[in-house]
Amino acid sequence: MHKVEFEQLEETLFHEKLDNGLTVYILPKKGFSKTFATFTTKYGSIDNHFVPQGGSEPIKVPDGIAHFLEHKMFEKEEGDVFQEFSKQGAAANAFTSFTRTAYLFSATGEIDENVKTLLDFVQSPYFTEKTVEKEKGIIAQEITMYDDQPDWRLYFGIIENMYKNHPVKIDIAGTVESIQDITAEHLYTCYNTFYHPSNMVLFIVGNVDPDQMMALVKEDQAQKTFEEPTEITRIYPEEPKEVAIKERVLEMSVQKPKVFYGIKPEKLDLIGPEMLKHELAAQLAYELLFGRTSDFYHHAYENDWIDESYSFDYSLEQGFGYALVGSDTHKPEVLIKEIKHTLQNAVEKWPFGQEDLDRVRRKKIGFFLRALNSPEYIANQFTNYAFNEMNLFDVVPVLEELEVVDLQNAFALVSHESQQSVFTIMPPKKDEQ
Amino acid sequence: MFETINIAKGVNVHVNETTQFKTINFSIKFKDKLTKEKASARSILANVLQHSNEVYPSHTALRMVLDDLYGTSLYIDSSKRGNEHVVTLNVETVNDQYLSEKGVLEKVLNLMYIVLFKPNFENGLFKESIFTREKHSIVQRIESVFDEKTRYAQQRMMELALPNHPASITSNGTIEIVESVTNEQLVAEYNEMISQNEIEIYAVGDVKPEMIASYIREFFHFKDREKAIAVPPMELVKPEQPRVLEFEDMKQGKLHMAFFTPITFRDEKFPIMQLMNGVFGGYAHSKLFVNIREKESMAYYVSSSFASQFGLMFVLAGIDSKLEEKAVTLVLEQLEEVKKGNISDVELDQTKALLVNQLKEALDSARGQIDIYDQYMELTDRFEPEYMINKWKNVTKEDIASVAQELSLEMTYFLSGKEDETNA
Repeated sequence: MHKVEFEQLEETLFHEKLDNGLTVYILPKKGFSKTFATFTTKYGSIDNHFVPQGGSEPIKVPDGIAHFLEHKMFEKEEGDVFQEFSKQGAAANAFTSFTRTAYLFSATGEIDENVKTLLDFVQSPYFTEKTVEKEKGIIAQEITMYDDQPDWRLYFGIIENMYKNHPVKIDIAGTVESIQDITAEHLYTCYNTFYHPSNMVLFIVGNVDPDQMMALVKEDQAQKTFEEPTEITRIYPEEPKEVAIKERVLEMSVQKPKVFYGIKPEKLDLIGPEMLKHELAAQLAYELLFGRTSDFYHHAYENDWIDESYSFDYSLEQGFGYALVGSDTHKPEVLIKEIKHTLQNAVEKWPFGQEDLDRVRRKKIGFFLRALNSPEYIANQFTNYAFNEMNLFDVVPVLEELEVVDLQNAFALVSHESQQSVFTIMPPKKDEQ
Repeated sequence: MFETINIAKGVNVHVNETTQFKTINFSIKFKDKLTKEKASARSILANVLQHSNEVYPSHTALRMVLDDLYGTSLYIDSSKRGNEHVVTLNVETVNDQYLSEKGVLEKVLNLMYIVLFKPNFENGLFKESIFTREKHSIVQRIESVFDEKTRYAQQRMMELALPNHPASITSNGTIEIVESVTNEQLVAEYNEMISQNEIEIYAVGDVKPEMIASYIREFFHFKDREKAIAVPPMELVKPEQPRVLEFEDMKQGKLHMAFFTPITFRDEKFPIMQLMNGVFGGYAHSKLFVNIREKESMAYYVSSSFASQFGLMFVLAGIDSKLEEKAVTLVLEQLEEVKKGNISDVELDQTKALLVNQLKEALDSARGQIDIYDQYMELTDRFEPEYMINKWKNVTKEDIASVAQELSLEMTYFLSGKEDETNA
């Protein structure tokens, strides 16, 4: 077992890669009564085209299958896994993102039992045609619920605008139609391909003894048999640099228009330390341009182009990413024009210096330290970083080394006119009512 | 957990000195009676005070100083609990032990003083442009509820079921009243909040209780104030219409049901009612989840919740618009099971285990500690998790059945998609 100390943060992380390929991280947290554990596979909604385990030809699977599989993992021949966790005083859950499927629990007691339950249920698939059919009604309601949420539609709307071919543009849960095609056989194919321990990370944070916990996980894994790990072949289509659609409008039952302005990054093949540096630098650049202390924010807020729903963000994964700026607004045209203008001005003449960098850097460091109070943040974020070959605890040192020119360079990759797109949700037109 | 120091009549400082967190959290709570007028004015006030002040006269200036203090977060929110309206100044700052720079804490305390005591006045009134802008912000906030249909449906049901009751008054007030508030009224509200409201001040982190108390005593100058007379919960009046159907242009139907119970937070049966709610619809092992979601595959979300301040229990479900009747029948069937005491040992034990877990978990965050302590202060002046855990321990199935029998369904509200309106 390896031990890494992060002195400034007063955190010690223990980790080990087991014989079956599973990577285990343990972060003891003193003073906490709860333990939070996530068991995550590097398999999300974008992995819909791949060579199945044991096969040689690539296959395509129905949209929404990773999420469907997540739902079905909880059902076993002997009943529902939620029941098991509840008996042991644990609250269990799971989520599927573009790139990951995570199973998790939090508990303040019976930690050993709960960790075993987590490992057992994720490592023993049980799918039948009957249970798969039954789930379709539940997931259809979940999809319908999201369909009625304007903020979700806005988010997916702008991603669909930005990406022409990449499967990130497909809704994570699929559609009510696409999930009808899912069979138990599909689920086994996906499970066997992506749920091998070598494609997974177990992260345990909280009130635990690292030696004892690592021994428990090792013993559990040693008792189970797995195939030899193989390299997974995932196929992603070519994605052009420019956005697919420049502008689109959707009508929905909302009280006023909603706008998302999206900027597609130019470089989508970054990984590891390079990716971390670029992502942090671009986030700081966007903070300076669109954050709460920016000229843009000041004018937009005081002139009533934006309201309290205003947000901006930059996020990067392997193969896709996006900067987003948006708000509910009475004046969508003005807001869109001003965002475009702000980007254009910064492209033409970079307006920020050392003092600006120092300020937003301090803000970001503070935000990061605050987030480390949350076991959930650490486990989720650390795993996400690990899948991208980055280390969460490098955030502060990398931030401290950033220079103004790094922000400029990062921004240059996430600003070009041809990479910009707008999605707007409008209230129903009055004459139709 | 917290050490309490009284610094003036009606003003208390509560400090939990702990190294559990990398940050120091503060909350200053100003408590007043909940009315639509108070809620409207105080929501504007919260926004105006967090916008800027005499020392940092623009939004940008204030936000820049916060960034410089390692992204110290500072916001003022407007909330309600039972009959009370609460304005809270929330501040979280990094413990400077993790930084190369020292003296951050003093600067943050000074900033909190400025935010509360040095408003952005111009000729004795709040600066007009900010006053107008923030009034508009609150109006927009109230309007935006419509976009989230689950929240909107719940709010509609409450307005229809209990108009003018604290249970239906929202913490932001109403659009009409917010628009009518004058700058003079807001200044009066501000003065009343600072000098007459009961105040609870919380600090959680690696800080000394005496240091925080003496700083606040010395710089904040909170004067003595009368303790408000506790207003008993307002009685629940039967809604005029027991069933309401409304339409919006949407795909899913939103079923909301409201039940009355004589048991409130202050009642000795409160812990039993918490367990009843848990067994019925509070968790993934509960009767509603297992039967309506897992067995019938009718819903993605279906759950119950207990609003203990008012003696209300709600059931919420997102279903196909055509299945309202069936869903209501199934919900009532499951309630009938609880009333009959058809509860397994496993169901009871699971619910107890999860309530304990939930409470202990909440105490793993500084905000959770403050919220729970502030809420339970009314029942016990030395709150520890065991206070509740011991009460849940001995609750039986029979106890749960007996509180379930006291529930009465008073309102069923269904927000349905427009398509079905034409089909109907």
